[in-house]
Amino acid sequence: MVDEVYRFPFDAMASRCEIRLAAPDGHAAEELALAAIAEVRRIERTYSRYRADSIVSRINAAAGRYRVECDAETAQLLDYADHLYRASGGLFDITSGVLRRAWDFRQPRVPHARELAPLLALVDWTAVQRDDGAVYLPRAGMEIDFGGFGKEYAADRACALLQERGVRHGYVNLGGDMRFIGPQPDGRLWSIGIQDPRKPDGIVASIAVSHGALTTSGDYERFIDVDGRRYCHVLDPRTGMPVSHWRSVSVLAPLAVLGGSVSTIVMLKEDEGLSFLASSGLAYFAIDSTGQAHHHSISGDYAS
Amino acid sequence: MTTSKQAPQDLAASLLAAALLLPGVQALADEPPQEGSISLRYLDYADRQSGLDRIRAHSPSISVTAPVASDWSIEGTLTADDVSGASPRYHTAISGASHMQDERKAGDVAVTRYFRRGTLTAGAAYSTEHDYVSRALSLSGTVSSEDNNTTWAFGLAGSRDRIDPVNHVVVDEHKRTLSVLAGVTRVLTPNDIGQLTLTRTNGDGYFNDPYKLFDNRPRSRRQNTVLLRWNHYIDSTGGTSRLSYRYYSDSFRIRAHTLSGEYVQPLGGGWSIVPELRLYTQSAAYFYYDPVYDGTLGPPFPPGFASADPNRLSSPDQRLSGFGAVTAGLKVVREIGKLWTVDVKVEGYEQRGNWRLFHDGSPGLAPLHARIFQVGLTRRW
Repeated sequence: MVDEVYRFPFDAMASRCEIRLAAPDGHAAEELALAAIAEVRRIERTYSRYRADSIVSRINAAAGRYRVECDAETAQLLDYADHLYRASGGLFDITSGVLRRAWDFRQPRVPHARELAPLLALVDWTAVQRDDGAVYLPRAGMEIDFGGFGKEYAADRACALLQERGVRHGYVNLGGDMRFIGPQPDGRLWSIGIQDPRKPDGIVASIAVSHGALTTSGDYERFIDVDGRRYCHVLDPRTGMPVSHWRSVSVLAPLAVLGGSVSTIVMLKEDEGLSFLASSGLAYFAIDSTGQAHHHSISGDYAS
Repeated sequence: MTTSKQAPQDLAASLLAAALLLPGVQALADEPPQEGSISLRYLDYADRQSGLDRIRAHSPSISVTAPVASDWSIEGTLTADDVSGASPRYHTAISGASHMQDERKAGDVAVTRYFRRGTLTAGAAYSTEHDYVSRALSLSGTVSSEDNNTTWAFGLAGSRDRIDPVNHVVVDEHKRTLSVLAGVTRVLTPNDIGQLTLTRTNGDGYFNDPYKLFDNRPRSRRQNTVLLRWNHYIDSTGGTSRLSYRYYSDSFRIRAHTLSGEYVQPLGGGWSIVPELRLYTQSAAYFYYDPVYDGTLGPPFPPGFASADPNRLSSPDQRLSGFGAVTAGLKVVREIGKLWTVDVKVEGYEQRGNWRLFHDGSPGLAPLHARIFQVGLTRRW
């Protein structure tokens, strides 16, 4: 009489992913999981920077030349990106991906200021022109990408799809960013560990979750160590330099896309991140550069 | 650049509102943004529950978590009859990493449906031993008041057991029970939580112990239980006291009172100390006979055996005698790092016939004592 939990590991968005869901039998579970995985892959394909035919590649290829018509979904993602930019005081900028041309995290080399300067001139969301569902990047070489919240968006979409098909127990985990459909079939919560940012096989905390989303941003995903200093892949769009105040920021939020945005903004806000977290009303677990943990449980409504 | 001058709290709210405008991220398209805060309440609930042990039982059980103040909460797990043990802790996944850890093994099955202000759980249990098969079905639920300060609970459970003792005293005997439970948990003040639970169980069938001679009990048993619990957080010490009183009566004419208390005192540095005391007294079942034997026949025949009706009710089961018992214990818990907990518990139990405080007892019964020394080491995953 009780559904069993089935697990479907897969690779997508350059991450290890997994869907867990309860279903009456393996066949039904597989059908559901495949539909959710197909949705994740659709988002990956549609918004990939690496595929020349994706909407993102077409917008970027047209930079400085012409406007590109957007479909409704892309327009809504751009709206959200605009909101993120304003809410973060300009720190969350989806045009900052060009800085990757100077930062190659496969080589332990810190780029010179003269390499960063021309790229920083291309980082400017406010210059992006949008009207009537079209978008135009005014300077040649400008780029946008949805890497900052695409994975979380895919987790939310896959989760909503499963919920609409009647799944009540399970979660979607895309490379450690998770959105929960509901508790385990016996009512118990999923117990989720928070990755230790310095020990690959360790955890520093745990939390029991049944609904909502748990997302983590950290300085350990991609980084280089040069002269004893860590340079991580989260770059400040004003300086082009990596942030360094936080080793890891985990946030519990109603939606993965919100949790992921907040944890990234906190990383970018550096030492002002804690007060942002503290007053956001969200539960968080953050570890600063000295290894000290800061955490808080949710205490009230914030979306009223 | 239009830098926002909003407070961070408003920023988070406005981000949520913006995120909810994204297509297809919520299952219900017409769900208003307030639903986001409802999800948060669930998360709140989950978070508070995380550090607490959860106990599972075969009988109808209700677990209530009540957020009381910002830093602490109490989980009361209440069972009608019997507790089978604490459920293991484990991590099902890790946030921020790509590797997974394995799942637990499934236990009894239960499905819980969550509503905005309540839960509904349906469960089934099956257990078997070589001479005993038990099947149980249960349905329980909770409903909380709008302010979450009051939670009402109800439960309904039925079981059907088949008994086939290896000595073949009886073959293919059955026992059925039906239990009804109703309770209310109320947050009385930010530091106090109270709970009242009533349970009624009707059982029919084979109640004898097939491995005891002259064990012939009524084929019907009606049991009532009243349980009162009070948990109190003490601001000045940071400790929590848990007091409870239970009254039990049944159609075997056993009446029992249990008074128990424990106090959890955190000492800092990861240490805490938990003294506990439990007082128990019960009267004997009306068909219980003391282990005194027939003058002519000798043991194990009860007095007057030769002339008695062979179907008369009788049982020498010590658990049906009148007695009193005291349990005193002390537990010291030390958390080592974030992952390890060590606890050492010393408990003494003494049961005596003449410690019964009410009714007639079985003064001839030998006292029973037990000392329990327990060391536990727990690693969280």
